[in-house]
Amino acid sequence: MPMEALLSVLTGGLVLGSLYALMATGLAVVWTTLGIFNFAHGAFIAVGAYVAWQISSADAIGAGFVIGLVGAVVVLFVIGVIAHFLLVQPFERKPNLVLLSVVTTLAGATIFENLLIVGWGARPKQIAPMLEGDLHLGEVSISQNEAIIIVLVLFILALVGFFLRRSRTGRAMRAVAQNREAAQLMGLDVPKLFGMAFGLSAALAGLAGVFIGSIRFINPSMGADPLLKALIVVIFGGVARFTSPIYAAFIAGMVEAFAIYYVGLYWAPAVLFALMIVVLVIKPEGLFGKHERSV
Amino acid sequence: MAAGTSIGLFGPNGHGKTTLLMTISGIIDPWRGDILFEGERLNREGERKSQLSRNINYDVIRRRRMDPKKVARAGLIHVSQGNTLYPEMTIAETLAIAPIAANGRVEETESLDKVYSLFPKLYERQDQKARFLSGGERQMLSVSAALMAAPKLLLLDEPTLGLSPKLRLELAEAIRAIKADGVPLLVVDQDVEFLESLIDTLYLFDHGRISRRIEKEDLPSYEEIMSLLFEGAS
Repeated sequence: MPMEALLSVLTGGLVLGSLYALMATGLAVVWTTLGIFNFAHGAFIAVGAYVAWQISSADAIGAGFVIGLVGAVVVLFVIGVIAHFLLVQPFERKPNLVLLSVVTTLAGATIFENLLIVGWGARPKQIAPMLEGDLHLGEVSISQNEAIIIVLVLFILALVGFFLRRSRTGRAMRAVAQNREAAQLMGLDVPKLFGMAFGLSAALAGLAGVFIGSIRFINPSMGADPLLKALIVVIFGGVARFTSPIYAAFIAGMVEAFAIYYVGLYWAPAVLFALMIVVLVIKPEGLFGKHERSV
Repeated sequence: MAAGTSIGLFGPNGHGKTTLLMTISGIIDPWRGDILFEGERLNREGERKSQLSRNINYDVIRRRRMDPKKVARAGLIHVSQGNTLYPEMTIAETLAIAPIAANGRVEETESLDKVYSLFPKLYERQDQKARFLSGGERQMLSVSAALMAAPKLLLLDEPTLGLSPKLRLELAEAIRAIKADGVPLLVVDQDVEFLESLIDTLYLFDHGRISRRIEKEDLPSYEEIMSLLFEGAS
């Protein structure tokens, strides 16, 4: 593999990894807190992209990328809280919550996708990138937009980690995730914390949607593939620590980038799935996992 | 319970003592009856209909009668049996979020100093995750977290269960100190001697009901209590 190609693959892997990290962290926040997989996470990615497009695009409100990004985060947080209230909270005390939430969140995903088609149509759109032009670092060339995405994702994930570890609300969210009954006995507002976890997860999905939308075209079903990748990353890495899916995301991003180079775009997901199966056969709780799930 | 007094619940296993405590603290929704504390009713009015709960999603059709958050924030803090709290959180983190239930009733740093002076082991290991603690230390952490919540009534469900004799004595001493500090207790335990040192009144619990009330000065021996319970059952 020529050096130029290797560096190009590595930077591509970094971009993919950072996007997967953002998506997988959102998914993992809900999984570790409520114990369910949110299948509407992909739809949240698409909704985030459309909200940002509506606010930022010159064809719509035209307020610029940064305001579009902030607007998408705020709107998606609210949508996440509402989605939790409607799709999950009614079943929270049911023993078959996991199964029920698969059905309700899948239903939610379909509703959101259809609402996007009704509101914006099925034709692809694109969010104007944050920065134009390329960045040259020696032999490595990367678009400025992708470079800033990598930096922003790392900063945002550090911020989320700090929130979960250091703030009282973040610690309360972790407490609820680890022992719901004890948290209730200690007076924590469990439904509110669950709602916040869902809101945080949706906000991260929205953010991922905005970043994806500034690299690729957006369409109402754009969240399906990222949802699948985020699922792979969360299962592949495990959720023993907040950082587990993040490490797994960068590994998955690199594997996919190399797979695209060597076996082509269409075979890359198969390579990822094969790797996930191999890892799970050897370590069923995930690459960085432990027996207990927690944050 | 009279204000400021401590009571004990004693009875055979499986007769509903833990269920009663879980109901008081709102984890289990009561079918009927009220839970009153300092003149305030902690449950919503009405009864829970058995047919509704069996056939439809009770939580959606009828609101729950109890809210555990409301109970805890009213000052009833329940240390449940074998409670490990939050396994992946450190002692310091666990104690940092415990005052949420206190609703600002006390100064947090003052409570923390008190807790660490009561359980110096926890101070030494404050950066240790709860899952790495021994059974006794976990129980100390649970009681400490409950104290940080500034309880007006502390509900202890078999606090010394499964502990080594040394740890049992250590924890019992700490609980006596908590009682001496003016925190009323509702203690469930199988050790009559331990209960005697803490309570003003003992209630015998038999098949889900209180079968007898015994004042501290009339407290009989373990054997006599057992025979009273067997009589009650027959």
